[in-house]
Amino acid sequence: MTAAPQSLGDGAATSAASATPARWRRAARWLLALPPAYAATALLLLLAAVLRPQLLSAFLLPLIARQAAPLGLAVIGQSLVMRARSIDLSSGGVIVGVSYILTSGFFPVSDAVAMMMCVGLGLAVGVINGILIVKARASSMIVTLAVAMILLGIVIALSQFRAPGDAPEFLRELARLRVLGIPVPVLVWLAVLVPVALLLRSTVFGRYLDAVGANPQAAALSGIPHLRVIFVGHVASALISVLCGFILVGFVGKGSVTLGQDLALNSLAAAILGGVNFGNGKGGMLGPAVAAFMLTFLFNFLTSLGLGEPGRLMLQGAIIAAAALAYSLNKK
Amino acid sequence: MRSIRSGVSRYTLGLPLLLFAVLAFAVPAFLAPQNLANISGQITALLIVTLGQLVVALVAGIDLSVGSVVSIASCLVATQSDPVWGITLALALGLVVGLVNGAGVALAGIHPLIMTLASMTFLQGFAFLILPIPGGQIPPALGQLANGTLWGLPLPLLWCAVCAAVVALLLHRTRLGLHIFAVGANAHSAQLNGVRSVAVVMTAYVVCSLLAVVAGIYLASRVASGDPTMGASFGLESVTAVALGGVQLTGGVGSILGVVTGALSLGLITNGINLFGVSPFLRGAITGGLLLAAVCVQRRRTVGL
Repeated sequence: MTAAPQSLGDGAATSAASATPARWRRAARWLLALPPAYAATALLLLLAAVLRPQLLSAFLLPLIARQAAPLGLAVIGQSLVMRARSIDLSSGGVIVGVSYILTSGFFPVSDAVAMMMCVGLGLAVGVINGILIVKARASSMIVTLAVAMILLGIVIALSQFRAPGDAPEFLRELARLRVLGIPVPVLVWLAVLVPVALLLRSTVFGRYLDAVGANPQAAALSGIPHLRVIFVGHVASALISVLCGFILVGFVGKGSVTLGQDLALNSLAAAILGGVNFGNGKGGMLGPAVAAFMLTFLFNFLTSLGLGEPGRLMLQGAIIAAAALAYSLNKK
Repeated sequence: MRSIRSGVSRYTLGLPLLLFAVLAFAVPAFLAPQNLANISGQITALLIVTLGQLVVALVAGIDLSVGSVVSIASCLVATQSDPVWGITLALALGLVVGLVNGAGVALAGIHPLIMTLASMTFLQGFAFLILPIPGGQIPPALGQLANGTLWGLPLPLLWCAVCAAVVALLLHRTRLGLHIFAVGANAHSAQLNGVRSVAVVMTAYVVCSLLAVVAGIYLASRVASGDPTMGASFGLESVTAVALGGVQLTGGVGSILGVVTGALSLGLITNGINLFGVSPFLRGAITGGLLLAAVCVQRRRTVGL
């Protein structure tokens, strides 16, 4: 009999004492559930402020944002397909194709027509990817890697016989231009990012995408056109790759077969860091965008610290593994 | 039962035979002993890597990091003054890579494509760190092992035969082999039947990485130097060879015979490209096209990854 009030009192005492820790724990859980990119960006900016403050200057920061635009665009496409439990690694191939069409002079057409041809190429790649993945049910990873290999092989074999030419003046000008102090590539990035984010948040397509990602079987059984959702994702992703190609060709000003080759892997890393994973869109569209900026800033920061190609690759691999590990442990 | 599990069909057997016949008819130089010896030398490394890829594919995994492991092994052997020490280091590294890949996939539940893509990138950087540009020294004895002949047969064939025999023994004469097929066919029911699937999957990745190391040592011995990008194409080519050989990437179905035909087909295509004088850069495009064709005929239920 005496034991009961005793234990009740104990319980009251501990709950009173743990009121603050409970709030802390809730806050910690909320922070842990955020995309890893947010904390990493904060840490990185802090480190840069101490070690390399010039990176944060009003002159360099817009330049880094400009440099982040292709990755930021690529990760939009990547997260669209990843949310539907697919993956797109063909961006490198599309970009090399775009670069070849625009700069080689192989097609004697005006710049506008050449750019239309690039869009056509992107559309074709997206449709082929989509059909093979949805109809033949082949693994999207293998399909998109193979498509990238085919495009890269053809372009390299073709460009053996031609010196790389100059990029269209229009694209070079666009890459340099600023509107209200903001570089045009960043504006292009925002012009794609904001509508896509709104689309996913407030249209039926966005809900379909979430449903397909959460459980493809259930989505199919509920009459959601789940194959069409995946197909549309792949076409959109390939078209976005064409846009990345335009910006990259404008940056470099010349044709190149190494252009954008690391974009596929980096966009995968940025998506995972931004809280998007296979079948999961927790990070929304903001998380991947922040992650794209973070990765670009990180590579600049490491270059300023004197890290070469080997270190960059090792870090890239470690980041992908760490982000994937954090995600899968968090889910458990 | 056996034939269903092997995945070998008339197409997997027919492709290399068809290629062989076409090349023998179209290019007289194809059947010259020197060219045949060349082919066996070129195929050996791919076949060894593909045998490892088979073991991983049987447990429904995939290992894209084999290419980087091949490169690193060649760099390690070429930079160490003592070849025994170099080979030991390379094998130890292969063991670690396999354990990390396996742990990431089986323990942490990371998708094998993501896990091995990450380790592929990391190891590529590591290879550049060990040996920034192609070079280094290989002792002549090792070179003899990779280029010499034994009783008139080219030694590369011996490397193939030994590796294939070891993997065949592992798959068909040990308990582990049976467990590998069981986990690949249905991981859940294997687990319920007392198979420790985590250990089986991790072992599969270790075997794959170790075979990639062997391929790297062979390649370094063959060209008498190390190269940090030597194996870059092996990741996708081994997946292509496995898929061409009728191995189901969803696990549980595959055989040594299929893998040999797959690697042989790719080797014959490469040789044909050389003999016909086609741009060697188109090889990647042709491999990609074959890979597409091979994965499209494999029926799967899931859509996406």
